[in-house]
Amino acid sequence: MKKLNDSLVELNARERAKAMLDKGTFRELLGPFERLESPHLSQQGIVPQSDDGVVVARGLIDGESAVVIAIEGAFQGGGIGEVSGSKIAGALELAIRDNEKGMRTRAVVVLDSGGVRLQEANYGLLSISEIQSAIVALRKLVPVVGVIPGKIGCFGGMSMTAGLFSTLIMTPEGRLTLNGPEVIEQEAGIAEWDSTDRGLIWNTIGGIQRQATGLVDILVEDDVAAIKEAVQAAFRSEKSNEFRSSQVDFYLSRLTAIDPTKTLTPLELRKMWGAEASMGSVENTVKEHIENDAEEVISRGKIWFKALTGISNPENGNVPAVLCADHELDGELVRYIAVVPNPNSRFPRARHGEVGLEEGWSIAKYVREAIEEDANKEKRRAIVAVVDVPSQAYGYKEELLGIFLSCAASVDAYATARYAGHPVIALLVGQAISGAFLAHGYQANRIIAFDDPGVLVHAMSKQSAARITKRSVEELESASQKVPSIAYDIRSYSTLGAVHELMTGIHADEPGKEDVDQVLNSLAAAIKIARKSPKDLSNRLTSNNAATGRAASIKVRERLAKVWN
Amino acid sequence: METLTFKFNATKSVPKHAYVGVVASGDLEILLEPSKEEKAYVVVRTASDGFGETWKNLLDRFFAVHDIAANIEINDFGATPGMVSMRLLQALEVCSSEKTER
Repeated sequence: MKKLNDSLVELNARERAKAMLDKGTFRELLGPFERLESPHLSQQGIVPQSDDGVVVARGLIDGESAVVIAIEGAFQGGGIGEVSGSKIAGALELAIRDNEKGMRTRAVVVLDSGGVRLQEANYGLLSISEIQSAIVALRKLVPVVGVIPGKIGCFGGMSMTAGLFSTLIMTPEGRLTLNGPEVIEQEAGIAEWDSTDRGLIWNTIGGIQRQATGLVDILVEDDVAAIKEAVQAAFRSEKSNEFRSSQVDFYLSRLTAIDPTKTLTPLELRKMWGAEASMGSVENTVKEHIENDAEEVISRGKIWFKALTGISNPENGNVPAVLCADHELDGELVRYIAVVPNPNSRFPRARHGEVGLEEGWSIAKYVREAIEEDANKEKRRAIVAVVDVPSQAYGYKEELLGIFLSCAASVDAYATARYAGHPVIALLVGQAISGAFLAHGYQANRIIAFDDPGVLVHAMSKQSAARITKRSVEELESASQKVPSIAYDIRSYSTLGAVHELMTGIHADEPGKEDVDQVLNSLAAAIKIARKSPKDLSNRLTSNNAATGRAASIKVRERLAKVWN
Repeated sequence: METLTFKFNATKSVPKHAYVGVVASGDLEILLEPSKEEKAYVVVRTASDGFGETWKNLLDRFFAVHDIAANIEINDFGATPGMVSMRLLQALEVCSSEKTER
């Protein structure tokens, strides 16, 4: 008789963490009785949880020192807030420190998350960018394994995070995607995706499809012993540094072979991307760009890219929505990258300046180009992300074709550039929203923003955020008076400590020479400072505003460090 | 969200703390710590406003039978009285048992 499986999916986060570790070695850090709950939820009338929904545990895996982080999907959908996010980021940062000192520490993250906790919004985004930065650094030292057992699955910014693991393991109960079907329905209409169509959802973003199309490494049945074995095998195999999120040319050529005007079913994609379709044999014919008569759209991203580089149409590549040019500043070359509206984009959901499938991989391409060209130079060129991105692209094909990985690719590239010594500066000239900002700008050493009503930073459009958190837009707006992290304006955002400089008096829509000179001066100054500062994102927690604006993030990291060993 | 506090006289001491549950829809978490005082203090934070009387009746009944000296914190996300009683008994079982699990 076949033994029934010991389900991992049915376990809570604490039990999941325990299950990943060798028997009898589980030691929880910052557990419930430490009472590190979210300080932002009760202010909005939401009952907090004593561990903020994340379990961090030390112990052994296969006899070797390890840290396991498990997200509790049942509490607020596993949403990442300031405390829960800082527990994850802080633990990974300590694992980096240990591994750098030669104390090998394995890291496993059991994911079960809807993404950013919208009631804390920008705190979630900040934390996720820090988690992503830490994974990019840590996976060079030791394998970092992600597990998506299921129930909630892995969505939003955390799906991009999932794209960064050395090894990603899923069960058929898991789902992995950037935008949840409800958000796509809200943003793009029910014709794009009917969020009540369960069959379509599982066939598109479920574990079986993701593994069959090569977007995750290992598919395991929901059985504790089998999952544990897969995790241990991932550490034993010591996979080389061929991370999926770094395979830019391969995925760009795969996308080139897709015709977005035709329907594409999950099964058809399996035939194209599945195991039977051998790696590298993808037809490499560039599809002709459909030359519509759509007029050129002016955007702030475009205006400022031209103002800073003197070039309006660099015409460098097959994805015209991503502009890239090198221009001299203060005696050195600086690479500028912007995402701008392209009304003729092959993918119709990415025509208004969104970061879509091609955009994410193209950003990665331009950043990696700079890394390679400067690999043997003493001074690595600075990279400026000109940020004016309304959102990521919302669409069925986007999710099917793995937009989470496309965004992970640009995160990976920017973080890798920063760690390699390229100063990365984000210049916020317009909107900087959710996954698009995570992909394009959030990995910067320094963030400069215009103090302008058109500069908005947030996790989700107001309409979608209201729908997901089951509140009215009015309730959302009144809550943002009390909790600056959920406001949309740049002044509220800058109180959180991540903004290096808030530039006043800039004419953002029609910049004159004085405006441009002022911005160039600020960029040059930020580049200088970035060259002298740590290559991680720690400066965001040491700024003046961070002392109050990120108080909980700092406290969590301090407490974690004390009990780490 | 509403915060409710309760106090009961208690005679039985418990050996260790207990943590059970999760702040999930229809569920709650309980943090229970032994108290040296012969009292039980209960702080409830609940997502469902206006059920103070129900909580009082439920806790009265629990402590009438199990008068444990403890500080109890409850974070409730709309658990039914049946669920609350079950979690309290679960916490009681954990805090009364001598063995520790790792």
